Amino acid sequence: MIDCSQYRRVMLANPHDTDAELAAHRDRCPECAAYTERLLRFEGKLVRAVRVQPPDAERGGAVIALRPRRSPVVRKWLALAASVLLGVGIAGALWLAAPHTSLAADVVAHMAGEPQAWTRTDVPVPAPELAFVLRNTHMRLRPDAGVVSYAQSCLFRGQRVPHLVVQTDMGPVTVMVLVHESVSKPTPFDEHGYRGTLLPVAGHGSIAVLAKDQSGNLDAVKSIASRVRADIEWTD
Amino acid sequence: MNDDSGGNRARARFQALCQSLRPDLVRFAFWLSRDRALAEDVVQETLLRAWKARDSLKDETAAKPWFLTIVRREYARSFERKRLATVDVDELIAKEEPMLAASEDQQIAEVRAALFRLPEEYREPLVMQVLMGCSTAEIAAELNLSSAAVLTRLFRGRKQLRALCGEDTSQDPE
Repeated sequence: MIDCSQYRRVMLANPHDTDAELAAHRDRCPECAAYTERLLRFEGKLVRAVRVQPPDAERGGAVIALRPRRSPVVRKWLALAASVLLGVGIAGALWLAAPHTSLAADVVAHMAGEPQAWTRTDVPVPAPELAFVLRNTHMRLRPDAGVVSYAQSCLFRGQRVPHLVVQTDMGPVTVMVLVHESVSKPTPFDEHGYRGTLLPVAGHGSIAVLAKDQSGNLDAVKSIASRVRADIEWTD
Repeated sequence: MNDDSGGNRARARFQALCQSLRPDLVRFAFWLSRDRALAEDVVQETLLRAWKARDSLKDETAAKPWFLTIVRREYARSFERKRLATVDVDELIAKEEPMLAASEDQQIAEVRAALFRLPEEYREPLVMQVLMGCSTAEIAAELNLSSAAVLTRLFRGRKQLRALCGEDTSQDPE
């Protein structure tokens, strides 16, 4: 059985440790429960703090961007960068003529870039931050939609889209609101460890709802997806 | 023809992968270097190297640690080239003030400034855990440390950070 000092030491190393012994200690020790609450509140600030806005994130242009050179080694790569960009351009042109990757595959690929979003937590994103992410989307979430623990405005297929994580009975579930992408019918997918579904939203494109596979089966995800769709209120 | 379109799809997919990972790689490089311009250079070179070596990435789910390794290697190279004798954290903070204070929330700006002051040995594993979502084992493998050593650094790092931010640390263990 661990004592308070051991418990806090482990929690300071990883506030999201889900070890059963830690949970048991927390249940029987109100001081450590309160300590954990304070720690998670700070952790929420830390998560937001590390997500500084990359200086050129808004440009949305070439991934391998060219800037004024700063060092001889960087200069050395200039020619290579140019040829890579040319190659990317040609590949892009060919890609336009080739069958596109599916919407589901692109959603899953996007998930690989945001692993921290999957944290199981009860710390909600502050309301002003959520409102900021949802600006210009003509939507809002019903107040009883559940804890939104992550909210970012992400570049996806050339458009800014809200990327939200809602804490549910089956753990964190990701929601991407894709007003620029339409699907004709509910489209379940199970790729690279993610299970989810794309749902059409009349007049507003679609939404993607997905969970990591250990969080539940596809039927459960589909049921949560329907619930999430109902929790979105469109304002236009 | 099928091979061509398959290759094009693979290239497009790799490009999409780079695009989705790039913001976090820049963030990671920024916290590593505490220098926005250097972070951009490091990630630019990382993506070029990754593009050249893309065939060696067999499993997309392993992309994050793969890119992370390249970023750290590129940063180490740049650091060797431009080693500074001393680092004045106040000067660094002043230089990167627009990026650190680019938040509506003053508390977040304070946490960012505190992260700048955290020694690298604590800052790096902490950012790997919080920003990149790395497990203790992944951090240990990347930093060539034991899991116990990583946990100790995370514990000390978070404890110091909380103290720097003026949090009540009276109940923290020694």
